[in-house]
Amino acid sequence: MAKVLIENLYKIYPAEKGRPEKVAVDNANVEIQDREFMVLVGPSGCGKTTTLRMVAGLEEISRGAIYIDGKKINEIPPKDRDIAMVFQNYALYPHMSVYRNMAFGLELRGVPKDEIRRRVDSAARTLGLLEPDNLLERKPKALSGGQRQRVALGRAIVRNPKAFLFDEPLSNLDAKMRVETRTEISRLHRHLDSTMIYVTHDQTEAMTMADRIVVMRHGKIQQIAAPLDLYHQPANLFVAGFIGSPPMNFFNGTLTASRQGTLEFVEKVPAGQTPFRCPLSAETSRRLSSRQDREVILGLRPEHLHPNSLTSGSTLEASVEVVEPMGAETFVYLKTGGHTCICRTTQVEFMDLEGKKLNLGPDLSRAVFFDPQTEAAIPA
Amino acid sequence: MMPGEHRNLIKGLVFISPWIVGFLAFNLYPLIASIWFSLCDYSVLSQPVFLGVQNYVDLWHDPVFWKALRNTVVFALVAIPLSSFLSIGLAVLLNQPIAGQGIYRTIFFLPSLVPAISLAILWQWMLNGPMGLVNNLVRPFLNIINAVCGSHLQAPDWLNDPNFALGGLILTGLWGTGQAVVIYLAGLQEIPLELYEAAELDGTSAWQRFLHVTLPMLSPVIFFNVLMSIIGALQTFAVPYILTGGGDGPGRSLLFLATYIYQNAFDYWNMGYASALALCLFVLIIALSLVSVRYGEKKVHYSGR
Amino acid sequence: MKPTRSSVPWFTRVALILLGVLFLLPFFWMVSTSLKPLNETMKLPPQWLPSSPQWNNYPDAMRAMGPFWLYARNSLLLAFLNVIGTVFSSALVAYGFSRLDWRGRDACFFVLLATMMIPFPVVMVPIYGLFKAVGWIGTFQPLWVPAFLAGAFNVFLLRQFFLSIPRDLSEAARIDGCSEFRIFWQIILPLAKPALLTVALFQFMATWNDFLGPLIFLARENQYTLALGLQALQGTISGTPWHHLMAASTLVLLPVLVLFFLTQRTFIRGIATTGLK
Ligand SMILES: Nc1ncnc2c1ncn2[C@@H]1O[C@H](COP(=O)(O)OP(=O)(O)O)[C@@H](O)[C@H]1O
Ligand SMILES: [Mg+2]
Repeated sequence: MAKVLIENLYKIYPAEKGRPEKVAVDNANVEIQDREFMVLVGPSGCGKTTTLRMVAGLEEISRGAIYIDGKKINEIPPKDRDIAMVFQNYALYPHMSVYRNMAFGLELRGVPKDEIRRRVDSAARTLGLLEPDNLLERKPKALSGGQRQRVALGRAIVRNPKAFLFDEPLSNLDAKMRVETRTEISRLHRHLDSTMIYVTHDQTEAMTMADRIVVMRHGKIQQIAAPLDLYHQPANLFVAGFIGSPPMNFFNGTLTASRQGTLEFVEKVPAGQTPFRCPLSAETSRRLSSRQDREVILGLRPEHLHPNSLTSGSTLEASVEVVEPMGAETFVYLKTGGHTCICRTTQVEFMDLEGKKLNLGPDLSRAVFFDPQTEAAIPA
Repeated sequence: MMPGEHRNLIKGLVFISPWIVGFLAFNLYPLIASIWFSLCDYSVLSQPVFLGVQNYVDLWHDPVFWKALRNTVVFALVAIPLSSFLSIGLAVLLNQPIAGQGIYRTIFFLPSLVPAISLAILWQWMLNGPMGLVNNLVRPFLNIINAVCGSHLQAPDWLNDPNFALGGLILTGLWGTGQAVVIYLAGLQEIPLELYEAAELDGTSAWQRFLHVTLPMLSPVIFFNVLMSIIGALQTFAVPYILTGGGDGPGRSLLFLATYIYQNAFDYWNMGYASALALCLFVLIIALSLVSVRYGEKKVHYSGR
Repeated sequence: MKPTRSSVPWFTRVALILLGVLFLLPFFWMVSTSLKPLNETMKLPPQWLPSSPQWNNYPDAMRAMGPFWLYARNSLLLAFLNVIGTVFSSALVAYGFSRLDWRGRDACFFVLLATMMIPFPVVMVPIYGLFKAVGWIGTFQPLWVPAFLAGAFNVFLLRQFFLSIPRDLSEAARIDGCSEFRIFWQIILPLAKPALLTVALFQFMATWNDFLGPLIFLARENQYTLALGLQALQGTISGTPWHHLMAASTLVLLPVLVLFFLTQRTFIRGIATTGLK
């Protein structure tokens, strides 16, 4: 039961010998609702861990404040913040049994023995640490990676904290375990009904688990939104490129007036090549009218480039470079005008098209336009 | 400083507080007090009386001091290279894939465990003139040499002969060199095998590989050991003291700076003079360490650091 | 390719065997002498083995030393106090130097390393004066109280070990509700057992072997350690009873050897790592 409020948060690592001052978190503002699953995502080194550690109390706050349930916790030590954290390397105590690992935090809080036993047993049952093998008396060394991860989860659960913090908890697992544990954590979130803050560099994890996502870059928050909003309405070029796999296609070009009185996107290409041009709908033209004759970046998700489509009246000619059949869908890597783009389709007849030409029909109703100077999306 | 930083500082100081107390009481205070005492007439029983540099003047004119200084330096300069060669040699031998490596390592290591008192008494007996084991092993060789060359070499009465006493002590020390063997052996085993393989492919001989692979790779360990040996050798006291039955040997041949400090402090209760000697010893240690650090910096090869 | 057994040249093996015998000879000579009757110790050329082992030499030597068991008790007591003191205090200090971040830490640690260059003879005069001033000369305190103030070398060893323990563990413990001292006590110390054992062993040896300390700080005979008792035996008797001296030396050495063989692996590993970092 907790609402976490991060207000004008800064983390500045002071300069040391051989290293200049480093602003690891730069004016972060996030409001995490009670029971929300909030994911912090961004490339390595963008300040996610630092932010999480400040919430946990493991890192001094340079400036700004963090509130849990309205109470400012800047000066409150970690143990009194009523949070639990799951670490990337599990951080299980190697010299304690699984049971003791889970019970330790409760013992320190003076929870009665039988209450501890009850809570540990219940958490262990939820996490499958009792069946098929009872792992409670084992030492962490005798567990597999996935089992260790579940013990680490258990240690957090028994505490019944106001908020759970996760720092890349899946990154040490193999691909299959990662997917399993991902669903496991989502299930736990529904079951426990508590606030969770989850850090990852993997946008798939973010998209699949989050209620809302915070995208960070160079210590700055780029956008906070629900996964699909993030996907369809990225705030800027960075978010658009970071979220979604395969990534969004970008085309540089200008908006020119067409004969119908609407705007037309004309791709910027090296001299001698035919640009890809496509007319915008009347509504979009109205929205972008102030950008007439100016440069924009057109962003199109791979699934909004339809191969061989003649529907929208404009086509983009491209040569097929690589075809990646994924089973349910196919990724086609193409070369156009001077750069590559990707198209994603559920049609299957492209298997042997490598090296051939292909016409693409962009679905411009789903396109996003960006200002090349500010890199921000041009608002709807 | 931010409040958190302040807290951390206090926490850190609390944890290291035992050392701080120890440092102040047993390192810093004694060093400073030594400087003061060395300028005084001081016998512990009475208050120090300021003398100026008189103790240092006396020291300069004291042949016994020069003797002790000479013995100390000679001992260090002879014993350290000898024991380094011996222990590196033993370690290289041990690093071969031979059966019983662990047993040999234990054998070479055991003598370094022997307490100084047992060690010294044992070697007093080993080095005994007529009955000692050393001479009984040496004599057959001397007899052969004498027979061949017509010379009249005699086995020495080690600890009663001013010319041989230091040699006896060095022999004792060589027997106890095993700790270094263990360290060198561990150092050798850290050297990646690929280096030897690469060198072998380049067509080098075993000796060249020792010179160009083993020694450079081992040099940080050698450096560390030599530094520790210098500090150890310069403060040598217990073994020669007991070897000579609580004295300093024939013709003061086993008088070292540490021995002379002890004698002045606790036999003559001349603490002022002892402090002047102690400072000389300290300066000597710092000087020799600095020299070896300087030299080491050029020669030591730190891989990947 | 690792050289195979057979590729080791024969002279390497011969050299090793010869050197091994040479290194064992003094031990053999010590024990052999300790079991000889007095007249056989004087024989020329020497006799390798006693004609019949004189086991009585051992009790006789102990009697000759005076209150042998009292000395042994004193040595053990001092060793025990030193081990407890240095393990605890050095671990505490090493923790402060490895698992806490504070301003000036590295400078302090450098000072600590530098103190390893100050040998005891250099500072013993003022230290003696210090103990004299507090009336500790002639008591055991000078020989064990300093151990509770951490030894630089032990701090160095333990710090190396503590640094290798992941930082996450401390943080998990902090979130679990541990105070700093509890992290030290319940998380770090249990994980550092091998390193603590190494330090304990080294300290035991150092105290057991110490000669100069007891020599200057102890006054009365009933406080003597085995080392001092043995030295007194060496000094008092004329006509040197080598069989007794060897028996007594063997007795002083014995506990050290037993301890070594019981903990050989920890011991060798400990020695090896001291030189490598
Ligand atoms: N203790 C520290 N001292 C100095 N810089 C640090 C420290 N910890 C992290 N940083 C820097 O802060 C930035 C953010 O780090 P972090 O929060 O760990 O990134 P990530 O998003 O990968 O978790 C990185 O550039 C990192 O180098
Ligand atoms: Mg991180």
